[in-house]
Amino acid sequence: MDNLAKQLREDAERIDCTVSEELDERIRASLHGVTPEQPAQPKSTSKSFAFWFASSLTGVAAAVAIIAIVNLQEPEPVPVPVDVAPAPLNFPTIQWHVEAAVLTTPLEQEIDNLQSDLKKAEEAVKQDIDRLF
Amino acid sequence: MSSEAALIEAARNGSAAAFTDLVRTYREGLLRFLLTRSTSFADAEDALQDTLINAYRYLHSYDSRWRFSTWLYRIAINNVSKIRPANTVELRDVGDEESDPLQHCIAASDRENLWQCARRRLSDEVYTAMWLRYVEDMSVNDISAVLDRSVSWTKVNLLRGRKTLDAELNKDATDDKSKAYG
Repeated sequence: MDNLAKQLREDAERIDCTVSEELDERIRASLHGVTPEQPAQPKSTSKSFAFWFASSLTGVAAAVAIIAIVNLQEPEPVPVPVDVAPAPLNFPTIQWHVEAAVLTTPLEQEIDNLQSDLKKAEEAVKQDIDRLF
Repeated sequence: MSSEAALIEAARNGSAAAFTDLVRTYREGLLRFLLTRSTSFADAEDALQDTLINAYRYLHSYDSRWRFSTWLYRIAINNVSKIRPANTVELRDVGDEESDPLQHCIAASDRENLWQCARRRLSDEVYTAMWLRYVEDMSVNDISAVLDRSVSWTKVNLLRGRKTLDAELNKDATDDKSKAYG
């Protein structure tokens, strides 16, 4: 045991505290008023024979009832197909001559501006190339 | 079956007397530990009482793979942490005052008790780890189980705690020498 461990142990022993009789009595009295909890028992999942017998009977009865209902029903009359003449189709007439100029004018102006900018840029590039080479 | 195992079995079946016998050897140590973690003697006694009652009530959850003391200390630490938030006084501050319960229980000496120093310098968890290691002789695995920390965390913090207290101990020794030589 090294010096520190020895010192720590000695210093702990120097802490003088004992459980008084009063505290002892208090603890005993409280313990007598407490009941230890028991671990929760897992619930049994096995079913009795009567349960399975009753389930089987119910299943068989339900199956018999469904078979009887299906077989005793009269067959539904099959609808006879009738030839139906196709109705004439009415196409709506569309007015093709619509003035869209109001909406597209700013865009046309914009494209003109862009094209002129492009031309100017092309010319500037050509001039630069001629100057360099 | 060992006597402790027999007492545990009897206590599980509702024997309060068996439980009292079972914890008789641990009570003093627990109270001493709780006293170092409480702001008053009354708090420490209350914490001990709550610890023993909880241990008795939930004895069915004790896993015999662990030492019984490990399990008891785990409950005690939970109880202390429940009591502490209500008492806003920091233990670090209590050490300097005359009202410190630990101060009253320490026999007079010419140097400061290392556990008082530890209370000032170490965090709650590191302090507890140091106590369990050096007073209760618990293994690192048991300490990590009590504190709900990893084994590596426990090892690292035990080392840090040791370094801190070692420095304090050496400082005291140096002070004594310098006093001796004037």
